Amino acid sequence: MIERGKISAGQMAIMLYLAITPTAILTVPSISFQYARQDFWISPLWAGTAIATVFVALRLHRMYPGLNLLQVSERVLGRLSGKLIGFIILFMYLYLDALVIREYGDFVVGAFLRQTPLIVVSGCMVLVSALAVRGGVEIVARFGQLFLPAFLVFFLFIILPIIPDLNVTFMLPVMAEGIMPSISGSGILQVWYSEFITISFLLPFVADRRKAAKSCTFAILAVILTLVISNLTTLLLLGELTDKYNYPFLVVARYISVADFFAHLESLFMAIWVLGVFVKICVFYYVTVLGTAQWLNLPDYRTIVFPIGFMITFFSMWMAPGYQELIFAIETTVTYYQLTAFVVIPVILFCIASIRKQVSGVR
Amino acid sequence: MIVAAVLGITVVLAVITLCEWPNLKQSGKKEKMAFAAITVIGGIMAVLYAINPDLPGPTQWIDAVFNPLRVMFSG
Repeated sequence: MIERGKISAGQMAIMLYLAITPTAILTVPSISFQYARQDFWISPLWAGTAIATVFVALRLHRMYPGLNLLQVSERVLGRLSGKLIGFIILFMYLYLDALVIREYGDFVVGAFLRQTPLIVVSGCMVLVSALAVRGGVEIVARFGQLFLPAFLVFFLFIILPIIPDLNVTFMLPVMAEGIMPSISGSGILQVWYSEFITISFLLPFVADRRKAAKSCTFAILAVILTLVISNLTTLLLLGELTDKYNYPFLVVARYISVADFFAHLESLFMAIWVLGVFVKICVFYYVTVLGTAQWLNLPDYRTIVFPIGFMITFFSMWMAPGYQELIFAIETTVTYYQLTAFVVIPVILFCIASIRKQVSGVR
Repeated sequence: MIVAAVLGITVVLAVITLCEWPNLKQSGKKEKMAFAAITVIGGIMAVLYAINPDLPGPTQWIDAVFNPLRVMFSG
């Protein structure tokens, strides 16, 4: 066993929640709004891939206890093709982590630190995450546990003062053209929901496995609830303007002004967001490093943390020249790659594995 | 500019190697090989990127593989 740490099922749920919500709050509203218009607050309810990936990951883990997705693919498909599938999934994790770092860097540079070069912002984040990842899965889980209360309190702190200014007429007519617009608006969200497959890499370290299914369900519900609340607030405040901004929820935070005294709460939003995205980066970074070590059959993953961090940093610079190209890439081919790596491949693996189990059971 | 970038990349990779040296010394041959391979590949790609930023990056690689799929689905 490469990792000696143990986490609880609750910690796993917290890690997943923080690994999905922060960037979803930031980027999804403006993309989702283009498809679903005033129904886009309903879109998070269509969490198809979240349920599918959690189901597949839990079932695969029941069939092959203690093995993660990469090891299962080697066991099911044989050594060579298993390694190939493993490479596809690992590259996706590497790319995804670089993508999150880039989104973080672009957000911080674009909205707050205008004079700072992008590489400094993302390099510092990778360095801090690398130190956390070197500590192992327990440290990452503890960070999640530590930051979750702050994340939730700050989140409410942004939503609550804004309630008197919300304009309910912006959400009318609800479902004017049936449920189809909201479903097409949830298309882009499936990318975030598919990240739930990460539980496959965390399940082997969970000490109380019986509670795992329950806490995963809880994590899905929490993510859906947070996204519905943030989308609804954005919609009721900004209305038709939602897709005019890159980061609508940041505009919501800027809008707050209580008694002319509490103003410019976007720094609060920034604080939330950095805490959340730090856990997100750590989780994906950890999975990349652990997966690479297993893929190369190394006895320990700690030595390759920094070289992979270097790779992630410069991939994040290399992936797109600017923010618009980045959004275009997320909306087009990266979506297909991520859904293939995180949904289609695990589902096919699950089908093959269960057929094999059945056949050998009949014999 | 290019010289500074290449110098920066070299310094970063040298610092990483120096920091990991005590751990690497104790670890097996396989880990040393893996560390060297990932560092060297990362360094070469970073230098190439510094020399010519217009080289097709990871997004273009994914694009090349998955664009046919996208065209197939969205018609």
